[in-house]
Amino acid sequence: MIFELDNVELYFKNKRILNGIYLKAETGKVTAILGRNGCGKSSLLDIAFGTLKSKYKLIRLDNQPLLKPLYKTDLAKYLPQYNFIPRGMKLKKAFEFFNLEWSLFIENVESFSIYENSKFKALSGGERRLVETYIILKTKSQIVFLDEPFSHLAPLHIETVKQLIKEEKETKAIIISDHLYQHIIDASDTIYLLKNGSTKKIKNLKELEDYNYLNANSL
Amino acid sequence: MQRFLAILAFYKPFVVWSFIVTAIIGFFNPQIAPAIVTKLFLTVFAWYYVNETSNKRKLTFYKNIGISPLTLFSYMFMVDCILTIIFLTVFKEFT
Repeated sequence: MIFELDNVELYFKNKRILNGIYLKAETGKVTAILGRNGCGKSSLLDIAFGTLKSKYKLIRLDNQPLLKPLYKTDLAKYLPQYNFIPRGMKLKKAFEFFNLEWSLFIENVESFSIYENSKFKALSGGERRLVETYIILKTKSQIVFLDEPFSHLAPLHIETVKQLIKEEKETKAIIISDHLYQHIIDASDTIYLLKNGSTKKIKNLKELEDYNYLNANSL
Repeated sequence: MQRFLAILAFYKPFVVWSFIVTAIIGFFNPQIAPAIVTKLFLTVFAWYYVNETSNKRKLTFYKNIGISPLTLFSYMFMVDCILTIIFLTVFKEFT
């Protein structure tokens, strides 16, 4: 599956947030979006998934234009920045809704076995983030959007998520955005920098310093 | 079936409000047609309210399991109508 997002133009009132966007992701690769706070990364993922309407956008799947929101195709899953699973829902129930096996999750993260009949509100922020990230990555789909999957996670759990991403990219196109750029660089195959409302494909990591995304010599 | 259960989970916080509205309708005018029109108006209002507030985030969960907002609120309306009709029919029998 080749996913392309093109010609995105987004305005909030009269302020132009995004223009001149091109993004390509494909099965077997992790595509990363880096950018400063407020540059429009989350809005871009919202537009791609179909939860935010932009003035213009063009989505192509395997070179075919898609005319309806991506979420309606059931091809994509989206981990937003915020907790998206209802607080009052039991973990076991959430796994059933996404057709996932609780036992397989416990094989990855044994320490969560006590939470099978707990509700999401009983988990800490990091634990909740890990469960939601696992659910989105493991659910059957062809495209996965991850907005700040490493936020609030303990270092051990960051490695778990990176391993999951590595496994799942074999069958999925994964698009990821986070401020923890070292983890993003480790986990991704292609990097786009979002600056001044448009995307720039990064061919050499040094360019991240040239575009003032990173301080000099921080790589 | 799982999807329907997920829709019921979304409907759960609205049940008490819906019951109060149905009770008021039953007290003043226990006719089914006006009750359903009222419920349709309230469902559209709930959709608008969810869409225009931070509650919009709740819809992401449903979109991830393949339920669009239109499907979600349509099913919610249908379930609500069934409960309203049952309530009003029972209410009329005892008044």
